[in-house]
Amino acid sequence: MKRLAVRNLRLCTKDCLCLYVCPTGATDTENSIIDTTKCVGCGVCADACPSGAISMVPVQYPPQQKKAEGVVALANALAESKAVQEGMARQLAEGEQAPGLFRLLTAVYRSVRLVNEDLLREAGYMLPQSANSHKLLKSWLETPPSPDFPVEAAKQLLERIPCNETE
Amino acid sequence: MSKWICGICGYVYDEEKEGVPFRALPEDWVCPLCGAGKRLFSPQEGQQPAPPSASGPISLQGEWTELSAGALSAVCSNLARGCEKQYQEQEAALFRELAGFLAAAAPPVPDGSVDRLLELIRQDLSQGYPALTAAAQAEGDRGTQRICVWGEKVTRMLEALLERYRREGEAFLRDTNVWVCSVCGFVYVGDSAPQLCPVCKVPDWKFERVEGRR
Ligand code: SF4
Ligand code: SF4
Ligand SMILES: [Fe+2]
Repeated sequence: MKRLAVRNLRLCTKDCLCLYVCPTGATDTENSIIDTTKCVGCGVCADACPSGAISMVPVQYPPQQKKAEGVVALANALAESKAVQEGMARQLAEGEQAPGLFRLLTAVYRSVRLVNEDLLREAGYMLPQSANSHKLLKSWLETPPSPDFPVEAAKQLLERIPCNETE
Repeated sequence: MSKWICGICGYVYDEEKEGVPFRALPEDWVCPLCGAGKRLFSPQEGQQPAPPSASGPISLQGEWTELSAGALSAVCSNLARGCEKQYQEQEAALFRELAGFLAAAAPPVPDGSVDRLLELIRQDLSQGYPALTAAAQAEGDRGTQRICVWGEKVTRMLEALLERYRREGEAFLRDTNVWVCSVCGFVYVGDSAPQLCPVCKVPDWKFERVEGRR
């Protein structure tokens, strides 16, 4: 499987071993992002990095796991409940004058959003490359949900992210 | 003498060691590890809490192929995270743009209140999670079981914190901080973030402090 090196800037301690070992100079860039056009995927930099800052990622991801319909239906129902809670907590926070409750409600809507993201990830939206993600983006392109919907963003995503499943 | 286990982080309260029966602890006693309230503890004897399969499936209206704008916003912000993990920053930004639009497009909630919020949270705990856990177990879907374990704990904590706020009001949060685990959403009230997230085990720097209104 073809792979590419990526550097996690939060972990990189700038001790530069990867610059010495890379056979193509891909790791030596002005913005610290490894040059994908130069990287040949040999993995030498990842092995050499003392900080574990470089990962080798596949160019093509395997299809995500299929989910049972019954599980997805229940997950979606729970996701709708979370969406209402998030909206409600956000709305309440916006109108809240008491400083403590404002912070608590802010924490609630952020928390609920994180939980919902995790829920939906497991309910068929793990990978941006998945057939589900593509189906969603395409549906927005074909019938935008509202006149001012950011159709251009959906279009660009479809162009930039290849689908890794046959629909 | 018995032991009581924190339902959030697994901390064990040993009555013998502490010298105070668990039930005799004051009502505002909280878990020394994760800050969960007394109610979130259960006695160790019964071992695991009852398996959540009993409560039966919740009723579904219509086909759940169409998600609402609010849920779709979370789909998009989740896919933005997926792009970030793959180091695709531009794609992540595009998904975030969609997520932002959809969040703004979600209709306002007409009857919002802290009580109503608590009701919805309790409904997830009594119906949503048990039903989803049972279905995931039946299918051997361990990914979904994981998010049920995490999500349920996080949701229980939200219930406990909102209840405590209702009892104690602003005094509960005066001179202390509110933290959110940026990975699993666990909310913690205390001066500093826990060293490890009691739910997903990430280190304290993954916690974000909730800022007050400026
Ligand atoms: S070897 Fe690792 S730590 Fe050193 S500069 Fe390269 S990525 Fe950063
Ligand atoms: S994988 Fe090989 S070619 Fe690519 S950046 Fe690392 S050392 Fe250079
Ligand atoms: Fe966490």
